[in-house]
Amino acid sequence: MAKYNAMTQEWLDAWKEKIATSKEYREIAKNWEGSVSMIVNPDPEKGIPEPIYLFMDFWHGDVLEIALCDKAKAESAKFVMSGDYARWKQVAKKEVDSTKALMQGKLKLKGDLTYIVRNIKTVNKVIDLLCEIEAIWPDEA
Amino acid sequence: MAYDRDLSFVYFGPTKIVFGAGTARDVDMEMAGLGCRRALVVTDPGVMKAGLVEGVLKALGDRCVGVWSDVPQDTGVGIVNRAAAFAREKGADCVVSVGGGSVIDTGKGICILLTEGGGLENFEGIQLLTRPQTPHIVIPTTAGTGSEVTCMAVILDERKGQKILIVEYFNTPRIAILDPKMTEKLPPLLTVSTGMDAMTHAVEALQSVQREPIADGLAMQAIRLLHRDLPVCAENGADLAARGQTQLAATMAGWAFGNAMVGLVHAMAHSLGAIARVPHGIANGILLPHVMAFNLDDAAEGYAMVAEALGVRERGMDEREAAEAAITAIRSFLERIGHPLRLSEVGVTDEDIAKSAALSLSDGAIVNNPRPVLDEEEVIAVYRAAF
Repeated sequence: MAKYNAMTQEWLDAWKEKIATSKEYREIAKNWEGSVSMIVNPDPEKGIPEPIYLFMDFWHGDVLEIALCDKAKAESAKFVMSGDYARWKQVAKKEVDSTKALMQGKLKLKGDLTYIVRNIKTVNKVIDLLCEIEAIWPDEA
Repeated sequence: MAYDRDLSFVYFGPTKIVFGAGTARDVDMEMAGLGCRRALVVTDPGVMKAGLVEGVLKALGDRCVGVWSDVPQDTGVGIVNRAAAFAREKGADCVVSVGGGSVIDTGKGICILLTEGGGLENFEGIQLLTRPQTPHIVIPTTAGTGSEVTCMAVILDERKGQKILIVEYFNTPRIAILDPKMTEKLPPLLTVSTGMDAMTHAVEALQSVQREPIADGLAMQAIRLLHRDLPVCAENGADLAARGQTQLAATMAGWAFGNAMVGLVHAMAHSLGAIARVPHGIANGILLPHVMAFNLDDAAEGYAMVAEALGVRERGMDEREAAEAAITAIRSFLERIGHPLRLSEVGVTDEDIAKSAALSLSDGAIVNNPRPVLDEEEVIAVYRAAF
């Protein structure tokens, strides 16, 4: 299986492909509407000198966009999630549960939690698909 | 009891507790200890009418720069925004909340706006704040919500017609003054329903997917104290010793669920509150044994601990038998304290059940339930069992 450098567009493209070709995702996410951004706080010692902004747009089972973006676009998303690089890495490797990480202050969420809860299967599926991608992390390269 | 070998959690509980009959009068000293000089007192008309604010105002003297008493049973974003504008106009540098959950959540919202500015509608989310907020002293007048020690606030966004959740470590109250005299005049039904709110916090913390040893210990002691002293309070509200123990139990249960979180009982009770206006504590109390029965296969270990705390785990019982004994004991306890037992007794209709079940699936509490709940029909079945 190909390995991708995490936090790069090629890694995001692989993730998008995984989501787009997942029949299970399409079924689970048929009610999801809207964009989600992820903000990765800088951590120079771990190879993240500047913040990284990721923008994802989902609509009724389709994945419209997953891309690196600028701060303004990230902050325009329906849901904005932010956190330290190490936390995101733990989520992407399924070492921590994203909901727990939110409640314990390891990640931050701006947006309507009830919508996330109502669609928790969608959220979990998107993360599961990310976990299937073999990645080389900046602090492991 | 077994925890995962790779157990990892955050426990957060920074609130100072001041306990004892008459300690509400120490509010001025506690406030001075925080370096504050100008307090906004937040309360509601019922608490004002009961005369519970007078002593606080007397103790504060010139340190009180204003009283906001216009807090309804379910507070809203508009109310918080107006109260914060009033507090700013008065130059308040701290908030003293005197009341139950709605008052305390209003106080939490004001604290954010005094520090950050803007409207509360901009703060919907989780752990967004990056600095300590305006100091908040809480003097509860019920023994149930635990809100005096949690970082959460639930506030109605009137424009959207839905409640928003604000979870902020930086906005946890600095001091809770637990004065049993503040709950002395609470009528029996309110005493038992708020007490069952606390009991539900403790039981749900013990069954939560986020349970951990510190929260478990607090929840166990909360259950012991409620089991012993809530019936005394229901019988004789003037028993200040029992009142005090139930206040402490509610606070311990607050710490427990503030860290381990709650589950399906709360998701269903929140929904019944929104749809059928059933008071939160009453809905929790009625639903608790039914949700325990629903969760039994996935939460026997936690419920066996409930049985221990209730004193019904007998020698030789395995975990499941102890869990079943806990459910029976909770049912008996509800009867003993004169708590309503059926949803039909409190005005819930068939139509309310269908609407509430749909709403329950989007309540944040549901993700922490030990048995995953993704199907509306499962929730309807639990409501029907409690009907």
